[in-house]
Amino acid sequence: MVQDRLSSLFSALADPTRRGVLARLTTGDATVNELAEPYDMSVAAVSKHLKVLEAAGLISQGRQSQWRPRHLEARPLQEVFEWLENYRRFWDNSLDSLAEHLRVLQMQGAGKTGQRSKRARPASSPKKRK
Amino acid sequence: MPAIIDVSAADRPVIVITRDFDAPRELVWKAITDPRQVAVWYGGPGFTNPVCEMDLRPGGAWHHVMQAPNGTRYTINSVFEEIVEPERLVWRTIGDPDRNPAPPTSHNTVTLEVRGQQTRWKLVTLFDSIADRDLSAKMGFGQMISMGTDRMAAHLATLQGVQDHG
Repeated sequence: MVQDRLSSLFSALADPTRRGVLARLTTGDATVNELAEPYDMSVAAVSKHLKVLEAAGLISQGRQSQWRPRHLEARPLQEVFEWLENYRRFWDNSLDSLAEHLRVLQMQGAGKTGQRSKRARPASSPKKRK
Repeated sequence: MPAIIDVSAADRPVIVITRDFDAPRELVWKAITDPRQVAVWYGGPGFTNPVCEMDLRPGGAWHHVMQAPNGTRYTINSVFEEIVEPERLVWRTIGDPDRNPAPPTSHNTVTLEVRGQQTRWKLVTLFDSIADRDLSAKMGFGQMISMGTDRMAAHLATLQGVQDHG
C-alpha cells in the first residue's frame, strides 16, 4: 500500500525497541528469540513489535527454516531518512534565515525607538567623506 | 533543541522542531504571519519566494511559491485553521497534484512561547497519508544494507535528536 506509507513508517520507528530491533538486523538476519534477547520483555511482546515493523514493510520473514529469521528491508528506511533529512534541513535553513531577519529588524527598531535618530548605528559618526 | 518523533501519538506520527530566537514574541509573530516577511526567510539562504499570499484567518488560504537556487519552483498551498495572536498559528498543507512525488500533506502548529528575553518557536507537524508517492525508483537500495550498526544507529538517532543551531 502506497497510501499512508510514510505515516506507518513513522509510527513503526517511533518506538525505541523497534529501532533497536532494526539496528540489530543491520548486522544480519535474526530469529525472534535472538531479537528478544537484549530486551527485558517476553518473546510475545517482541513479536508484537515485529508485526508492526513487518506491516510497515521494514522487515520480512524468511521462509527457509522453521525459525523464520527476520530480515531488514532497507528501502523504506531509506525513504524515511531522506525525507526526514530534507524536512529537517528545510526548517533549519528557514529558521537560520528567520533568525537573521529578526536580528536585522531589531537593529532597525533600535534605531527607530531612539527618538527617531539615525537609521543605522555607524551613521552616528560625523560626516564621512563621500 | 531536539526534533523528535513523538512516541505518544502511536498512530499519528509527529515531528517536533523547536528554536529559540533572541527577539520578543510580537516581533516573531509578525515575522511568521506577515507574508512580506515570510517571503524573506522561508526556505533559507539561496531560496526565494516569488509568491506568498496569506489570508490570515481560519479557513483563509496561504498560497506560496518557493524557488530553489537552481530555479525549481515549489508550490505550497495551505489553509489556516487557527490564529491566536501572538502565540499560536495552525495551518494544514493541501496536496499539490502537479508534484511527483507529491509531498505528504501535514497539519502544522507553531506556538510562540516567551522565555525571558527569548521566544521559543515550536513547530509540531502531523503527517497525513501520502498518496501517489513512489520514491523508490530515485533512491539507492543498497546503501542502507551496507551500513554498519553504528551508522544505522546514528541514522535512527536522527529520528529523535536533531541539533539546533540556536
